[in-house]
Amino acid sequence: MRRLPYSRHRFTVVIAAAVAIATILIAASQVSARGAEQQATAATPSEPRVSPPGTSFAAGISQHGAALGSPSAPLTLVEYADLQCPYCGQWSRETLPVLVDRYVRPGKLRIVFNGMAFVGPDSDRALRTAVAAGRHDHLWEVVHGLYENQGAENSGWVTDELIGEIVARVPGLDARALLDERWTDSVDPEIRRASAAASAAGVKSTPSFQLGPTGGRLELISVTSLAPDGIVPAIERALGTR
Amino acid sequence: MSERRLRLASQVIALLGTAITAYLLYVRQTGAGLACTTGGCETVQNSPYAELFGMPVAALGLVGFLGVFAAAAAPGGWARLTQATLAISALLFSAYLIYTQIVLIGAICEWCLAGDVLISALAALAILRLRLTPLPPAIPSRAPQHPKRRPNGSRTSLSRANRPPARVRHKR
Repeated sequence: MRRLPYSRHRFTVVIAAAVAIATILIAASQVSARGAEQQATAATPSEPRVSPPGTSFAAGISQHGAALGSPSAPLTLVEYADLQCPYCGQWSRETLPVLVDRYVRPGKLRIVFNGMAFVGPDSDRALRTAVAAGRHDHLWEVVHGLYENQGAENSGWVTDELIGEIVARVPGLDARALLDERWTDSVDPEIRRASAAASAAGVKSTPSFQLGPTGGRLELISVTSLAPDGIVPAIERALGTR
Repeated sequence: MSERRLRLASQVIALLGTAITAYLLYVRQTGAGLACTTGGCETVQNSPYAELFGMPVAALGLVGFLGVFAAAAAPGGWARLTQATLAISALLFSAYLIYTQIVLIGAICEWCLAGDVLISALAALAILRLRLTPLPPAIPSRAPQHPKRRPNGSRTSLSRANRPPARVRHKR
């Protein structure tokens, strides 16, 4: 085959057309994603900002540090999440209450929160608060309260006022003491432990989950969606094999 | 590499891309488990960037790969231009999708990356095909022509336009 002299004009036309098409697609993607995020935000209940006392999804369920549910539950689910991660928030709002009602409350499942803080400063503030609450066995109310009031990433939404509102609804937890405690060295070992566990498990994104027998080997599982049916089959299979 | 081989290679790669996007679309529509070693596939697939106004990006990719396949299978100038335009626009869009995965979503989908690698290869092949264009048949040959013989054996005279250039004519 003969090679013609390179036609710059023809290549310019192709590049211009390709750039035009790609620009339209990228603009469409941005508009579409923004619309979806606004819909998700609108779907998040904003009033009341904090659940009234006694209506917490974790009410009446035992907590031990970062664990929710009976220590003798046959199955353990470990959640790796960043409190600023919007998908973690969506999972926590949509799926966690279903799992708690269906599996944790009957004593079949125990859920452990392994918090990570990689999105930014608000992640760190939120995680330290949650871990400090975990030292008083109230981590899950704080985690759920933060997810219910999750703001835009690193917008400064994790305010002392918000934490005060969340903690005020948790009986037995003192907001002022918690705000002070979160900056002490006492929470560091737990944060380092969770981070090391995430590395050991091979967690590369959030939310990620490990599932397995309590006290036994946990496996990183693949969830097909953030809705309950994305994880329920895996739990059912694990319970069925026991 | 000949144009025939370039077209064949493009078709094979486009078919691989079609298979990947069809698999992602199947998983999305049926809710089946997604084979993933990075752990980020579900996060990416459930992100708002996985759809364009309700249409899965995987469906867009499927249409794109089929379009490149069809353009690679067809001969001619328009097919070459179409293949190059589709492949380069897909390359630019896939670069944007990689950016969204790393920066905006914070998770990596290995199936998407595999598709991006295929798109890069398709773009390279499409540009090569565009540059290795065969001579169009309308261009006249510049080789000297011999006069045709008449039925009675005498030679026809060459018209001025068909005569060989003066520099190649020999003196008697």
